[in-house]
Amino acid sequence: MSTRADALINEYLDRLEEELADFPSTRRRELVQEISAHIAEARASLENEDEASIRNLLDRMGDPADIAAEAAGPPAAEAPPPPPQQAKTRGSGWDVAALVMLLVGGLILPVVGWFVGVVLLWTSETWSTGEKLLGTLLVPGGLALPLFLLTVGTSANSCGGEVGGPLTCTGGNGAGSAAVTVLVIALFVVPIAVVAYLARRRSQVAAPA
Amino acid sequence: MVATQDALLAQMRRGTLQYCVLSLLADEERYGFDLVRGLAELDGMVTSEGTIYPLLSRLRRDGLVESNWQESPSGPPRRYYRLTNAGRAALDAFRLEWRRFRDAVDHFVERTDER
Repeated sequence: MSTRADALINEYLDRLEEELADFPSTRRRELVQEISAHIAEARASLENEDEASIRNLLDRMGDPADIAAEAAGPPAAEAPPPPPQQAKTRGSGWDVAALVMLLVGGLILPVVGWFVGVVLLWTSETWSTGEKLLGTLLVPGGLALPLFLLTVGTSANSCGGEVGGPLTCTGGNGAGSAAVTVLVIALFVVPIAVVAYLARRRSQVAAPA
Repeated sequence: MVATQDALLAQMRRGTLQYCVLSLLADEERYGFDLVRGLAELDGMVTSEGTIYPLLSRLRRDGLVESNWQESPSGPPRRYYRLTNAGRAALDAFRLEWRRFRDAVDHFVERTDER
């Protein structure tokens, strides 16, 4: 019987050896050695060494393919996800500059200053495309636009008034001047609100970095 | 039992098995065969005994257990495994989490049973 048992066990160990072929030789040797020692000890404790008991013993050891799979580690699905791609960020000062230039760039350097803000906004990776569109379209020129309209309005429509003070119009009807007032106030408020919103988005995005 | 449930139980067994191995090594060093017998005493913990060895090898490479060879009263020398400090810390941390998890699941599952 012992030759038949030896044959079965050797066959099992050969299959294990094959299944572990892709592993470094030291690990393969360690595993085969340990499992072979386990089989030897289990075999020694058998009351009756017949073919059935040897086969049962080897069944309890498990399929060599399963042992190799365990040695290979957890399946890919369980592997931790790759770390999130770290956004390549410029210094946060650039983002602040973008917002400042969008708002008052046109005042510092007419038209060009605001364009600088737009370029900085679009080259930043902080904001989404939608947020960039928002920053660009609301409102072109930033605070320079309502201030410009105020000055133009003063000469063309005889609407006067200090910046920040009440508007007084000598031409046009009351409803028209009221509409102009609302428009100008909106042109002041909207870009400030948009820039504030973008600043808040930036602090949310940049917080972990 | 449906297949997904089988898979889930296999995953749970797989996930907790290494801590059962660490627990068995907490008080005394053991060699592979002895360890496997210890695990096999509890039904359902080990389905194929051979898979314990790759697990032990991994625990050793992760520094949670260490091993040394000792002469055996019968047969060739045996590789004995024992817990490292890191292994003990991992086991303690798991025990804490496991109790919380077990109590939370028991809270729902056991109560449903009693109705």
